[in-house]
Amino acid sequence: MSVTPEEVRQIAKLAELSVDEEHLPELAAQMSRIVDYIAQLGEAGGGGAGDHAKPFIPGPDAIRLREDVVAPQPLEEKISDFAPAFRDGFFVVPKLGAFDAGEETA
Amino acid sequence: MSTAWETVIGLETHVQLATVSKMFCGCSTRFGAPPNTNICPVCLGLPGALPVPNELAIALAVRAALALNCAVQARSVFARKNYFYPDLPKGYQISQYDRPLATAGHLSFLSPDRGVVRAGIIRVHVEEDAGKSLHDRFPKATAVDLNRAGVPLIEIVTEPDFRSPQEARAYLLTLKQVLQYVGVSECDMEKGSLRVDANVSIRKAGSTALGVKCEVKNINAFSYVEKALTVERDRQVAVVEGGGTVTQATMLYDSKANTVRHQRSKEESKDYRYFPEPDLPPLVLAEDWITEQRGTLPELPAAKRERFVSQYGLSQQDAGVLTAERSVADYYESVLHAGAEPKAAANWVMGEVLAHAKDHQEQLQVPAASLAGIIALVKGGTLSHQGAKKVFTEVAARGGDPRTVAEALGVIQVADTGVLTQWVDEVVAAHPAEAARFKGGDLKLMAFFVGQVMKTSKGKADPKAAPRLLEERLSR
Amino acid sequence: MTEVEVLAAAKATATRLSKAKRLNALLTPPAVVRKSLVAQAKAVRASGVLYGMPVAVKDNICTLDFPTTCGSKILEGYQSPYEATVVTRLKAAGALIAGKANLDEFAMGSSTEHSAYGRVLHPLDRTRVPGGSSGGSAALVAAGAVPAALGSETGGSVRQPAAFCGVVGIKPTYGRVSRYGLVAFGSSLDQVGVLGRSVHDAARVLSVISGRDQRDNTCEDRDSLRLPTVPERLEGFVIGIPKEYFPVDLHPGVRRACDRAIRALKDLGAAIRDVSLPHTAYAIPTYYVIAPAEASSNLARFDGVRYGSRAAGVTTLADLYRQTRGAGFGPEVQRRILVGTYVLSSGYYDAYYRKAQQMRALLAQDFRNVFDRGVDLIFTPTTPTVAFKAGERTKDPVAMYLADCFTAPANLTGVPAMSLPIGRVKGLPVGGQFIGQPFLEDDMIEAAYALERAISGTDEA
Repeated sequence: MSVTPEEVRQIAKLAELSVDEEHLPELAAQMSRIVDYIAQLGEAGGGGAGDHAKPFIPGPDAIRLREDVVAPQPLEEKISDFAPAFRDGFFVVPKLGAFDAGEETA
Repeated sequence: MSTAWETVIGLETHVQLATVSKMFCGCSTRFGAPPNTNICPVCLGLPGALPVPNELAIALAVRAALALNCAVQARSVFARKNYFYPDLPKGYQISQYDRPLATAGHLSFLSPDRGVVRAGIIRVHVEEDAGKSLHDRFPKATAVDLNRAGVPLIEIVTEPDFRSPQEARAYLLTLKQVLQYVGVSECDMEKGSLRVDANVSIRKAGSTALGVKCEVKNINAFSYVEKALTVERDRQVAVVEGGGTVTQATMLYDSKANTVRHQRSKEESKDYRYFPEPDLPPLVLAEDWITEQRGTLPELPAAKRERFVSQYGLSQQDAGVLTAERSVADYYESVLHAGAEPKAAANWVMGEVLAHAKDHQEQLQVPAASLAGIIALVKGGTLSHQGAKKVFTEVAARGGDPRTVAEALGVIQVADTGVLTQWVDEVVAAHPAEAARFKGGDLKLMAFFVGQVMKTSKGKADPKAAPRLLEERLSR
Repeated sequence: MTEVEVLAAAKATATRLSKAKRLNALLTPPAVVRKSLVAQAKAVRASGVLYGMPVAVKDNICTLDFPTTCGSKILEGYQSPYEATVVTRLKAAGALIAGKANLDEFAMGSSTEHSAYGRVLHPLDRTRVPGGSSGGSAALVAAGAVPAALGSETGGSVRQPAAFCGVVGIKPTYGRVSRYGLVAFGSSLDQVGVLGRSVHDAARVLSVISGRDQRDNTCEDRDSLRLPTVPERLEGFVIGIPKEYFPVDLHPGVRRACDRAIRALKDLGAAIRDVSLPHTAYAIPTYYVIAPAEASSNLARFDGVRYGSRAAGVTTLADLYRQTRGAGFGPEVQRRILVGTYVLSSGYYDAYYRKAQQMRALLAQDFRNVFDRGVDLIFTPTTPTVAFKAGERTKDPVAMYLADCFTAPANLTGVPAMSLPIGRVKGLPVGGQFIGQPFLEDDMIEAAYALERAISGTDEA
C-alpha cells in the first residue's frame, strides 16, 4: 500500500482531523487508491518539456495594490452572534494543554 | 565561561510596518483598541474572504530592504505557511517563502568586541502578523484578540554573524536606528512593533563548522536580549562540558527567572507545507518604482554621523548622540540653519533640549529658530547661561520670542557701561579693605568683586563685562 | 415588470420551490424563502436589468438573507456577516435571491450525494443523481422552480450537473467573476458559474455578476461581460472537435447526440475541424492533486474557534480542533483534506504539487495550440455518460472523479466553457460543451444561442 495507516495517522495530525483507529486501514486503502492514481503524473514526462515547464498560474499577471487607508468592511452581524465562545470581547478556546505560551506567535 | 568556546548567533527580526491599515485589508492597525474591534471578514478569516495587499506596506518594505543594502527582487511571490493556532485565523499565514522580496544585504554596526562588523542579511520578506493569545485572562482558557491579525510585518533574517550576546544587541540597536530613520517602523519592543528570535549555537574556538543551533524566543525587551542569549549560550556550554550534545530545540526566555526553558511542542517537526498563495498573483515591482523608493531614503545614521564630524567639527561621541535619532539630528541642523554655531548648538541640544524632551514625551518643544535666538543672546552677552535656561524653559512651555521672554523674566544681562559703572562704584565703595588688598596685588579678589557686583545687580550684570570695569575702578 | 407583477412572481416562485421540495435541492425552508421573497420583491430596485428575476444561490456563496452552510455540519446555521460580491450585484440588478441550493459538501463531489443535509434527487428520475457539486442549483432550474441559479465550478461542478439535468451551465474564464464571498475550495480553479433554463437566462445573469472587483486580486480588471446578439447563422466560426473527448467507449447515446449537434453546427455554416488535445488524460490526476492541496489549506480555517460549530465538552485545544473537524466534515471532505495535506507535505511537494502545476502548463498549451491555428471554439460532450444512479460511484472515489474528465481541463487552464442540452437518451438529458478562448465568452455564447435554436434539447438522440 503506498499510504500506510501510520502515515494516515501522521497526516491526520497535521490536518487536525480526528480519525478513529478502526477506520485507519480503510482510509489508508482509499488514500492509496487516490495517490496511486495521481502518481501517473510522475510518468508523464511530457516529452521532456514537462519537467521544465513553468508552473501555470491563471488570473492576472501581477498583484494590484491597495492604497493605505483605513476603510474596513463592516460586519453585518455582531461577533457574539456567530462566535462559538465569546467573552469580554475575546474569542475563547480551551487552554493550550499540550502547548506552551509563545508557541508559534510570530 | 570557558574561553575555548565561540558563540555563533543569527537573528530573525519581525518589524511591524508603519501603515494605518493592515496588510491585506482596510482595518486599522492602531495599537490599543478594544479587543476584536479592528476586524473584518478578511482578517477574521471568514469563509469566502480574500486578501488585497497594501501598497504602502510594500513601499516601506522595499525602503527597508534598500537601506539594508539588499537586492530588491522585481518579482516575488506570496506563499502560505500552514499551521494551526487560535490566533492564526485562516489556519495559514500569508508570508513569502522561496521568492522573497529582497535578498543578500548587509548592515554594519559597531561591535563592543571587534570594531565595525558587517552583518550579512540573508533576506527581507513581507508577511502578515497573527493575533494575540492571552493565557492568563480566563481560568483554564485562552483569550484570543485578532486586532493584530493581518498587521503588516517584514522579517529580516541575518547570517549567523554575531559572536556574542553583546554584538547581537548592538546590531539590533543599529537596525532599529536605521529603520526608524527610514520611517519604516516605530521599532518599539514594548509595543511589539519589533520582535526578535535568535538562533544560538556554540563551537570550539577556531572551528569553522557550525554547531547545532537552538532557537530562543520570547525576548520581549531590548534589555533582555543580552541576558537571554547569555543564558542560552551558558546552557549549551554546560551541556557540552557535562559530556552531552546540544540537540535542536526551541527555548523560551523567562525574564523573571532569567532562564530559558524548553518549549513543549506537540510535535518537533513543523511541516508548514508552503505553497504559492493562489489568491494573489506575483508581486511585480517596476524598476523605476524601486528607484523612486530609493529616492525617498534619507541620509542614513552612519553617513550622517560621519558628516557631522567632518562638517561641524564635532567629536565622534557628540555626533553619535546627535544622530541617534533622526528627529534630533534634523532639529540640530535646523538650529544651525537659524544661525547658531555648531559647538554651542551641540551642547544645548545634547543638554537642555534632550533632558527636557525626556520629561515631555520626547517632544522637541522649543522651535529651532528660538533656540538659535537664545544661543545668540548668550553669545552676545545679553543672557547668562542661567538666564538662558530660564528663557528656554519658558519658551518650551508657552512659546514666545526669546528676547521678549528674557525681558519679561527680567534676566537680561546689563552690559551697559553706565549702569555697570554705578554698581561697580557701589561695590568698591562698600568694600574698601578688599579694594586695598586688591591694589596691593591680591588679584584673586576679582572673583569676590564680580560676585558682589552680581549680588548688587541681582544677577543682571554681565559677568564678562564687570571685571574690566572693576579693574579700571580698582586701579584708580 | 411592474411592482405588482414582481410580487406575484415572487409568490409564484415560492410556491414552485415548495412543490419541488421532494428534490431536496433547496436548503432554505420554503416558508422562510416565501417570507424573504415577498420582502425582497417590495424592496428591490425597479430599474435593474434582472428586475424581479428569482435566482437561487448555491450554498457555498455567502448571503446576508439566508445562512451559508456549504452543505456541511461544520457551518450548520452559520449566518455570514457579509455578502458575496456576486450576490450584491444580483440584488443591485433587481434580482430576488430565491434561497440557498444544496450541494456536495464544500463543493467536493460530482453527484450531490455528499451533502450533510441529504442528497439531491434528479428531477426526472429520483433514483439518479443530478450531478454535482451544484446539483441543487441544476435541479431547481430543471424543475422549473427558478429560471436561473448561481453555482460554482472547481472541476466542472456547474457544467456537469447542467448536462445531467438538461439545463444550460456556464463557467466563465478564471478571473472574469469575483470570488469574494465564494467559500474557497480550490482557489486557482474556483469560479462562480450560472445555470439557466436557456442560454439567454444564464448569459444575462453571468453578465450582471461579472467584471472587476477590487476585493478579489484574482479577478481581472475588466468590464462586465458584454452579451452578444443571437446570430442567424455561424458562418466564419471554426469549431474544433478533439478526438480525446470521443473515446471508443463513449456512451453511444451521448455520441449520437453530439454527432447530431455537430451536424447542426455544420448546417449553420460553421467549419468543423478535427483537432487534438494530447494531454487530456492527465487532467483528472492533475486536478486531484491541485484541488485537494488548495482545499486542505482553505479548509484549515474551520476550526471551531471563531464561527461555525464547535465540538462539545472539549478540554484541550488539540481536541477542539480534531473533534470539531472530525465530526463537522463528512468523509469525502476529510479524504480530500488528507490527500491535499499529503501532497503538500515535506518530501512530496515536488513529486505531486509542482508536477501538477507543470502539467497545467502543458494542458494550457494544448488549448493554445488549437486556438492559435484558427479554431474559435471547441465542441465536446460535457460528460462521458448520462446521469448515473445514486450510490453507483460512492464506493470508489476515483470512479466518481472520472465524471469530470471532460470538464476539468477548462478549470485547470482557466478557459471559459459551457454546457447546453443537446438531446436525451431514454429520457435522460445529454449535454454538449463549448470550450472557448480566454475572455471570449461572447463567441461561445453566440454559438450556443444558434445551436439552442437549431436543435431541440429534449429530442431522443
